[in-house]
Amino acid sequence: MKAIIAATVLGVILMFAGLFVKEKKSVASLAVFLLFVLLGVNIWDLVTTAPNETLSFFNNMLRVDRYALWFNTLMTGCTLLYALLVSKEIQRVGSHVAEYFALICFILCGVYMLSTYNNVLILFIGIEILSIPQYILAGSDKRNLKSSEASLKYFLMGAFSTGILLMGITLLYGATGTFNIIQYTFLQSDMLSPMALAGILFLMVAFAFKVSAAPMHMWTPDVYDGAPTPFTAFMATIVKASAFVAFMRLFSVSFGAISSDWMMVLAIITAATLFVGNITAVFQQSVKRMLAYSSIAQAGFMLFAVLAVNATAWQGMMIYAVAYSVATIGMFAVLMKMKDYTYDGFNGLAKKDPMLAAFTTVFLLSLAGIPLTGGFMAKYFVLLAAVEQGKMMWLVIFALFMAAVSAYYYFRVIMAMYFKQGNAELNTEVSATDRFLLAITVLLVIVLGAAPNLILNI
Amino acid sequence: MTNLVYLVPLFPLIGFLINGLGWRKIPKAAGGIIGSVAILASFAVSLGIFFEVKSTGASTVVHLFDFIQSGTLYIPFSFQVDALSSLFLLIITGIGFLIHVYSTSYMHEDEGMVKYFAYLNLFVFSMLLLVLGANYLIMFIGWEGVGLCSYLLIGFWFKNRDYTNAAKKAFVMNRIGDLGFLVGMLLILFNYGTLSYQEFFGQLNGGQVQLSANMYNWIAICLFIGAMGKSAQIPLYTWLPDAMAGPTPVSALIHAATMVTAGIYMIARSSALYNLAPAALNLVAIIGLATAILAASIAIRQYDIKKVLAYSTVSQLGFMFLALGVGAYTTAVFHVMTHAFFKALLFLGSGSVIHAMGGEQDIRKMGGLNKHMKITGITFLIGCLAISGIPGFSGFFSKDEILASVYAHSPVMYYMALGAALMTAFYMFRLYFLTFTGSFRGTEEQHHHLHESPAAITIPLIVLAILSVVGGYVGLPPVISEHHTLNTYLGSVLSNFNVHHLEHSTEWILMGLSTGLVIAMIIVARVATKNPKFAENTGLAKVLENKWYVDELYDAVIVRPLGVLADVLDRFAEKMGVDGVVNGTGRLVRWSSDRVRLLQTGQVGFYIFVMVIGIAVIFALRFFGLNY
Repeated sequence: MKAIIAATVLGVILMFAGLFVKEKKSVASLAVFLLFVLLGVNIWDLVTTAPNETLSFFNNMLRVDRYALWFNTLMTGCTLLYALLVSKEIQRVGSHVAEYFALICFILCGVYMLSTYNNVLILFIGIEILSIPQYILAGSDKRNLKSSEASLKYFLMGAFSTGILLMGITLLYGATGTFNIIQYTFLQSDMLSPMALAGILFLMVAFAFKVSAAPMHMWTPDVYDGAPTPFTAFMATIVKASAFVAFMRLFSVSFGAISSDWMMVLAIITAATLFVGNITAVFQQSVKRMLAYSSIAQAGFMLFAVLAVNATAWQGMMIYAVAYSVATIGMFAVLMKMKDYTYDGFNGLAKKDPMLAAFTTVFLLSLAGIPLTGGFMAKYFVLLAAVEQGKMMWLVIFALFMAAVSAYYYFRVIMAMYFKQGNAELNTEVSATDRFLLAITVLLVIVLGAAPNLILNI
Repeated sequence: MTNLVYLVPLFPLIGFLINGLGWRKIPKAAGGIIGSVAILASFAVSLGIFFEVKSTGASTVVHLFDFIQSGTLYIPFSFQVDALSSLFLLIITGIGFLIHVYSTSYMHEDEGMVKYFAYLNLFVFSMLLLVLGANYLIMFIGWEGVGLCSYLLIGFWFKNRDYTNAAKKAFVMNRIGDLGFLVGMLLILFNYGTLSYQEFFGQLNGGQVQLSANMYNWIAICLFIGAMGKSAQIPLYTWLPDAMAGPTPVSALIHAATMVTAGIYMIARSSALYNLAPAALNLVAIIGLATAILAASIAIRQYDIKKVLAYSTVSQLGFMFLALGVGAYTTAVFHVMTHAFFKALLFLGSGSVIHAMGGEQDIRKMGGLNKHMKITGITFLIGCLAISGIPGFSGFFSKDEILASVYAHSPVMYYMALGAALMTAFYMFRLYFLTFTGSFRGTEEQHHHLHESPAAITIPLIVLAILSVVGGYVGLPPVISEHHTLNTYLGSVLSNFNVHHLEHSTEWILMGLSTGLVIAMIIVARVATKNPKFAENTGLAKVLENKWYVDELYDAVIVRPLGVLADVLDRFAEKMGVDGVVNGTGRLVRWSSDRVRLLQTGQVGFYIFVMVIGIAVIFALRFFGLNY
């Protein structure tokens, strides 16, 4: 609760700071400092709440539990890591640096609402708070036509999906007479009205859009590819993870008891997502666009956590959110150093900058889910959740095949770096600070892989 | 002191890490010192542990950390400190240390000396792990480590193709045995849910889990197959003679202190199991006896000084298994100990000879070396006397004990074992006389080069010679003394099974018989080598020289058919089947990727159209059919 207020206030402070502080670098430093404060507020929230305590705010419209607090803290931490790693690139996007950081703060406010909502109206508001700054960020490189195109596409399709979300909420209200997600638990399979079912399906479709699940994924490659790379990194990680937590909160808490009514449909969506994301990524020539498809593929795995509806699934979602975010942020941070975003741009990087190549390798191994990295543990836990639930074995096996396919496109980068001849050119000098931060990111990836209990035993 | 037991394997591990990581940088002398000091430190701790165990007689399990914990499977990383393991600790670190000291001189001209010491330390470390483990899994880790190190050291001069082949052979033979061990281990785990000695033997003796007698036999036989590989018994013995390819001190280490005694240790450790498996125990005795005879017969006609010693090791190991097989566990351990002394002595002595001869190993080209290398000659003679079982030397006591136990078990087996023992006396003294007496048969250049080895070589020889003499007095035969020190010491862990005691008069007769015949054999050897002529062997002698053609047999029956099978599989199953499937899958993925990516048209209208179609399909699926 304190965090929501803090995120809003800090965002406003940053916007005002933009008026008075002209130096881009100072604005960025201020933003990083404020994110530190925000992380502090989150930790304060976390430690002042007893482990089993659940707090309610605004007439029970927000319900704050331990899981949500921990998730918020971790995501804020990831945002801080992100800001530290890419603040230089953010400064290079355009002149409104203060606004960019302010928008990121507002997005975080949306993240906090999505992890704590107890009312579908708050869900709606949260999703909008999360989405609207993204439309702006996607188009923030105004001189670049692709960026503007991405922004417009995202906005148009986002508006469409918002309509679907509202439709779902409305139908559900019509069927139950309530917005409270706890009261939806009274829905029962044998007397489920078509109206309630339609509402649930519409909500599922709207969420599928936000997490870029097939066939609602079509915006993702274009937007992620067109948006300025630093903001792609943010959208593909923290934003996506919190949309997933919102998805899971509604479908596990409210509709968990009637999971048999929507599970098969979601399983098909999952299969389609895994297929489209992984298969399409194979043929890409640009690493940035490959990462866009990879984010679809990874969404396919996270959908398992929503599908499984059990305790392991919650753990899996947590570790997936963090492991995927950290590795992807690291990968994007490296990508931004490169002059050429195609695979060929990475040719011979291992000779030119062995350290950077080694870091990149760790990030890619984690994304591919190789043991000893966080990505492996993440995939392990979500698939374990699905296996424990037991109805989805065919899907788990399919996912494993698709994970094998994913190794193809991730390892292509490693092959380019180590086995291809070439002269990989760097955009900017990689400073000692950058190396230090990347090393910490690598360390996080490995620690997550070696000791996942650090973030699971909350 | 017992709590410090982790130090015993830790020191060699540290030595290995230092030398192994820095072998390009560390100077040779420093590498040798690091390696030797590490083992000396282990030896010091082992001594402390030995005397503590001796005074308290306690068996302790020292828990270090949890190793595997998964479901109901719980395997801690813990060490078993008791009479049996502490005795082995002393043998391994004590003799290991002497071999390290010897190596500092023997290997000082070799470029890879520091690497060599790293391997040597790792070898000792693995063996210590094998002996100390408090469950079969830890033993297995050491077991595999020993196999790996023997591979590395046998093939230490890897530029010689024959040597790398010998290393490969050792590794493969060992792996075959390891599979047996692994199966046995899994059978134990499957039936008893534990691999810990304490729990497993407790359940065996307590009888909570009753298995059919067959099951006991199968488990015991599987474990014994592992022992066959590691301790070079029929049919897996052929690697040990080839293992001579490694540097001579390595042979001493493999044959005396580590590796080959692992199998004996394992069966002695599992004696509670073998007591319930009479068929397996019989098999152990028969295999041991057959190996003892076969290897001894081959040794008679070998000309390579190290080959003779290698076959004698195989033969002596056969004796140990024979002792185990008749239930005389402590006797086998006794022979392990005395054998460790005199076999290390003989190998190091042969190394000294080879050193002096400038790398020559063929005894047909030696002779009369006594005049040039007094210390080596005398110590070698002591070794020969000990291994042949001349009264007063250590080998006599342990071998006599084995023979007495065998006689009590079955007189027929006794006579066969006695035959092997007599062959031992013959080939050892044939070796001694051909090498050290008579006149020199090598080249003039070699003759000039002959010299006694430096102190780093002779001192270990002298120490081992002393041990080879006095080492037997811890186990005096019952006719001389009622007090058997070693049996008393081991009594808390091992007790002999089904061993009948002989009448004193019978024992005197057996002792007299074997001693008299051994002395006779020595005289025969002396006569046979008086004027050595090395004509082409014919008949049985030729068969013996060619080791009964066992290698050729294995090659024809196993290696070549396997090669043909592999070739066929490679050509058809691999190239057509597996490659086809794998490459086909890859092509399919790329092909579909090329198609699917075309969906991404860039048109917002099309995207929204797809979404609407998607929603329609989802609703249709849900409302008209698909459901859980």
